[in-house]
Amino acid sequence: MNQSESVPQALDARGRRRFLGGIIAAIQAAIGGTLGVVMGGAVLSPGLARRDASWLPAGRLTDLAINQPTPVMLRLERQDGYQRVIDRRAVFLVRDGESVTALDSTCTHLGCRVSWNSETQQLKCPCHGGTYDRSGQVTSGPPPAPLARFATRVEPDGRVMVQL
Amino acid sequence: MLRALVDWLDSRTGIRAARAHLLDEPIPAGTGWSFVTGSIVLFLILVQLATGVVLTMYYVPAPDHAYDSIRFIMDRLPFGAVLRGLHFFGASFIVVAALVHMLRVVLLGSYKKPREVTWLTGVVLLLLILGFALSGYLLPWDQKAYWATTVTINVARSGPMGEYVAGLLRGGSGLGPLTLLRWYSAHVFLLPACLIGFVIAHVYLMRRHGISGPVDPVDGATRPFYPYHALKDTLAMALVFSALIGVAVTFRAPLDAVADPTDATYVPRPEWYFLSLFQLLKYFPGPLEPVATQGVPGLVVLFLVLLPFLSKGTSRRLRDRPIVAGLFLLIGLGVTALTVMGLRDAPGHSASEGWSPLAVAGSEFARDARCTTCHRAGGAASEITGLAMLKDPDWLLSHVRDPQMIAPGLREPPSGAMSPGQAQSVLSYTKRVRAGKPLAPAIDADTRTASLVLGRYCATCHMIDGEGSAGAPDLTHVGKVHDAQWLHDWISAPDEIDAGANMPGFGQFLTADQMSALVKYLAARK
Repeated sequence: MNQSESVPQALDARGRRRFLGGIIAAIQAAIGGTLGVVMGGAVLSPGLARRDASWLPAGRLTDLAINQPTPVMLRLERQDGYQRVIDRRAVFLVRDGESVTALDSTCTHLGCRVSWNSETQQLKCPCHGGTYDRSGQVTSGPPPAPLARFATRVEPDGRVMVQL
Repeated sequence: MLRALVDWLDSRTGIRAARAHLLDEPIPAGTGWSFVTGSIVLFLILVQLATGVVLTMYYVPAPDHAYDSIRFIMDRLPFGAVLRGLHFFGASFIVVAALVHMLRVVLLGSYKKPREVTWLTGVVLLLLILGFALSGYLLPWDQKAYWATTVTINVARSGPMGEYVAGLLRGGSGLGPLTLLRWYSAHVFLLPACLIGFVIAHVYLMRRHGISGPVDPVDGATRPFYPYHALKDTLAMALVFSALIGVAVTFRAPLDAVADPTDATYVPRPEWYFLSLFQLLKYFPGPLEPVATQGVPGLVVLFLVLLPFLSKGTSRRLRDRPIVAGLFLLIGLGVTALTVMGLRDAPGHSASEGWSPLAVAGSEFARDARCTTCHRAGGAASEITGLAMLKDPDWLLSHVRDPQMIAPGLREPPSGAMSPGQAQSVLSYTKRVRAGKPLAPAIDADTRTASLVLGRYCATCHMIDGEGSAGAPDLTHVGKVHDAQWLHDWISAPDEIDAGANMPGFGQFLTADQMSALVKYLAARK
């Protein structure tokens, strides 16, 4: 008699413990989740923010040699946290008649800075030896993709504008 | 799969036994809701640690940047205002929770043998929490931070070895970058390390002696902490957290104007939890000051330290401990009364709240082409509404008047430059910009007209609301001394009233509208 009663009681106590444990877990998850949203949002969002593209002046068309990638340094002002910083971005401008192509100088392999070698007529990355031709296509080495291109336009007064 | 992983971990670490040891603490029968207070303090400490870590990702502990980095957190960082709100208001919550916890321990006599050392670690924790509050203050480098810290350091100076203590707190020869860095270091490294150590000691001792439980033992078996008492703790945490997040979302954590060591109009006032000490200072002037700064607080701390040794009886009932109860009541009433009196003393307005007439005028002058030629989006310099104003005021004044000069002040400003009053106005406006309020409030046309005249002409020689130049009488309360008619006559032609007057007549420069608006405005300044 006694035994048959205590078994359901023990089961009952166990169920009760589990139920209360569930409530505790739910409340603590709600508190943790709220804190997680606030803190996670504050930690992550600036890193995920995208900058609006802007048109930057990059010299005059007449100063560019035909079909020779010419490195141009662009000044890009952007808000970084509480201060404004100026990023200097190197871009290769390749003139083809009246139009201009802008190639990013960032190697698509691991982000090193490529430079133009006029003897071999190649853009070469110093890190792992990747090479690109004047149109940014990979000619050898590890880079997985051609150099990125930026939109360009030539103003009526001959100024070249690059969109970064 | 998971079970196998936990089995493996358990066999290497004994994690299940540790968990059982933590959660199966036997709780005496009859242990009620009043025993959740300690968990609440611990919970709030964890919230402060977590939010504090995220804040350090954006905060810069340098006087040139601290204020702007907090502005960024408040105005631009997603969830930043709530994050700082949790940390800022959380500090008040902790002070309250710690006091409530202490009160609970005293009321139920939980500090008695064998828990004396548990109590002592608790007293240290209370002091550490107050240390956090004090050091956290300085970090925003706003007016309140600067002046409250100035007061704190001067208070420290009044005690024994005062100069050494003050030097230790100040770091450098004056309040500056070294002070900020060492208070930051204390707030984020030293104090947290001590706090964590003492929390561990406090909790360890609590477990060693077991929870004290009800004053009069209740019959019945003990129950494990988890889930029965843990549920009470968790529900209480939910309640406190709801209140905290509610406050953090509803109210903005305050941020005054940037620290200005030359400002004579700012009245520093401490947070409410130090208000009683602040008020106490008023009753012990001059040589008696150490009584308020060291004596009374020292005696209170000494009393807390000695409490478990003074109250040695075995009974935990309050009515068996009339002296302890009486002393606590006395201290409690004293602190409450001082706090209430401190709250009642009307606070001085802080410079960032109201827009002074010069700030209003400056917001208009700053739209001048002489400024916006360079200060515009995509221009040679940042927009005025985004300036950080890191140069000193003298440089800025010169620059506003003579922007093309590389080293302002080396030559007389060219003709056509802004007047010194206008430059002062622009400077006054840029202070509002830095305080995150680039838009002037809507004001009536007469006040606006008067502000512009004040900025263009009067502020070149006169001071108003603590801004302008100190060459001529202060206009802040000029309406107390002179009525509208006299002001009108004087401003029009001072030499007709006093032949030796230094002030030029402005009758010919001002239109009738400008004159009447100015006179009306000044006459109302009482």
